[in-house]
Amino acid sequence: MSMRYHPVTSEVIEELKTIVGEDNVVLDPEKLEAYGMDEVSEAEWQHAPEVVVKPENAEQISRILKLANRELIPVTPRGAGTGLSAGAVPMLGGILVSVERMNKILELDRENLFMVVEAGVTTGEVQRTAQEAGYLYAGDPCSADSSYIGGNVAENAGGNKAVKYGTTSRHIYGLEVVLPTGEITTLGGKCLKDVTGYDLVHLMVGSEGTLGIVTKVYLKLMPLPRYVVDLLVPFDDMKKAINIVPIIMTHGGIIPTSVEFMDNLSIKAAEKYLNQKLPHSDAAAYVLITVDGSSEQQVEEEFETIGLLCEENGGLEVFVADNKAVRDRIWKARKCYAEALRAISPVYCMEDIVVPTSHIPQALEEIYRLADKYEVKIPCAGHAGDGNIHATLLREDMDEQTWQEKKKHVLEEMYKVVYDLDGNMSGEHGIGAKRKDVLARFMDPVQLNMIRSIKKALDPNLIMNPGKIVDVE
Amino acid sequence: MKIVVLMKQTFDTETRINLNAEGAIDETGVNYVVNPFCEIATEEAIRIKEQLGEGEVVILSVGPDRVESAMRQCFAMGADRGVLINDPALEGGDEYTTALVLAKALSNMEYDIVLAGYQAVDDGSAQIGARVAELLNIPQVTVVTKLELSDGKAIATRELDDGYELIEVPLPALFTAQRSLAEPRYPSMKGVIQAKKKPIQRLTLADLGISADEVGAKGARVKGESLVLPEPRQAGKIIEGEPAEATVELVRLLREEAKVL
Repeated sequence: MSMRYHPVTSEVIEELKTIVGEDNVVLDPEKLEAYGMDEVSEAEWQHAPEVVVKPENAEQISRILKLANRELIPVTPRGAGTGLSAGAVPMLGGILVSVERMNKILELDRENLFMVVEAGVTTGEVQRTAQEAGYLYAGDPCSADSSYIGGNVAENAGGNKAVKYGTTSRHIYGLEVVLPTGEITTLGGKCLKDVTGYDLVHLMVGSEGTLGIVTKVYLKLMPLPRYVVDLLVPFDDMKKAINIVPIIMTHGGIIPTSVEFMDNLSIKAAEKYLNQKLPHSDAAAYVLITVDGSSEQQVEEEFETIGLLCEENGGLEVFVADNKAVRDRIWKARKCYAEALRAISPVYCMEDIVVPTSHIPQALEEIYRLADKYEVKIPCAGHAGDGNIHATLLREDMDEQTWQEKKKHVLEEMYKVVYDLDGNMSGEHGIGAKRKDVLARFMDPVQLNMIRSIKKALDPNLIMNPGKIVDVE
Repeated sequence: MKIVVLMKQTFDTETRINLNAEGAIDETGVNYVVNPFCEIATEEAIRIKEQLGEGEVVILSVGPDRVESAMRQCFAMGADRGVLINDPALEGGDEYTTALVLAKALSNMEYDIVLAGYQAVDDGSAQIGARVAELLNIPQVTVVTKLELSDGKAIATRELDDGYELIEVPLPALFTAQRSLAEPRYPSMKGVIQAKKKPIQRLTLADLGISADEVGAKGARVKGESLVLPEPRQAGKIIEGEPAEATVELVRLLREEAKVL
């Protein structure tokens, strides 16, 4: 543990028990271990907390944070633990605050089209509740079934529908947060316009739990699109596949709900994992396009336009899902990306680079060049519509040293390529602990200092999720 | 080659079933799909037609107007046309009455092969195919995993508990599809667009010459008394403590509480 911080003593534990109740303080080492990891598969990004507390409201969190400031103990906030950057992993031990008991939907406001929920409600439950009431909550990370809204806010989760509906940040208008020093405040609310001072709501969104703990979220709802159609289009050339995105948007005049792609290695991995022959599985790429809307006729016109554009521009065939059964079938290959890769290689390193969409083919070419150069498989899939590529380095049967070395070289060169292409190292997974060191090398020092200044102003004792995004000292 | 596929529209398997105030299944917000086994039968029918380079695949179904969307899905895969039997008097029927209606409709149609799913995923009764074949007095092979055709005959591979059975039958004959018979294709855009224009013939009981008394609740041999939802699952029990003590406690609970030992 770093010199700055103190260990959790038995006195501290007694105090925590008084705050949240004895039943909501976890000390069993086996259980603590489970709170010491997220979805990053490598052991170096795992570290158990000294104690887990499960508060039920902002007041309890406030008391925990005041205690942590007094005793100088690191505090790590945690949602469902589905993160991909070790952002919710307590790398320095200390107290882990799990919002798992704060899982109530507080309000569904049909007049203002808002839902107010506690931070520990799953994204899936928000989506279902909205849908059953006839609305859409458009935030949709791939982990929606298990991730918590609080975590989505902390990471500004993206997902498939970001092309049309934007990332999580676009649906957040208000937050109740407990600041690192323990003050409770509600930023924003249900107003659709608000320039009353700095945009503090969106300072919190994507801050990865380093600026406070989100306890309540004001989510914007939209009318539910009644009609959805998905297209699956195999292409024999990756460039043609990616180039379909601007063609759809400019020639077609259509902003699809999502445009996803997967490369041949990913298709083959899915085919093996699903133990099922996929159509055109020798194709260089699959492109999956979704359109939605409130009129059947409009959605039909859009998918026909897109389908024809695909056929004219190198699509080998256009498959269509206009009902749920077929939709599930054509999405299966894309949805199982992470599991399929894990079946080939239990240890892997999933990257989350993002470039301007027109640069995707070039970024991929460079990634494949690196894969050849360093002899490591790097299947790529992701969000063609917004330039976000998940490039995953597979360890397979490499020994630890070879793996670490290759990974280091590939990532260093990959980030260089990405920055040369006006991109960034993370589109939706965040920096967390995993990418902190490389961020320090690649980010403009002016911006690194802005982040440090904000951090120090809000968290003078640096107790809030330390060791994430940037090192402050 | 004329092939008729018996198709049932069922609830999407992920649907959460609720009962309404009258104790019947509440259909609001329910997604309907082609019964997966019927989808497999449809795929097999289309493959046979494609392999032979000639023929017709007709989808035959009993049910309300909403079945049209399921038929369109089969059309998008490549089926040629549909026959939908819809009549208010069919309400409350069972496998016996449904098979009666299907067999009557088939007796007015041309067919060399009748294909059906071996069961529907909603009630899982697996009776329709067998009953229809009996009523038509044609050979049948159920739970088929492979179908080969030659010179007016078919050799069907049928799944057994400990192996496979190969059965040769003369055509016309009826076959019910097991999961591994065929993998349903992804509908193509052309297929989906063409599917909108393919014809569906709508028939009532009067068209089939069946009296309302023979079918529906009146004709049914099985009467549903009431529907109940399963009890919600109870949370599991975690036994704390050291493995040796926890095991003793587990055995005690299995004996005394669960009474399974």
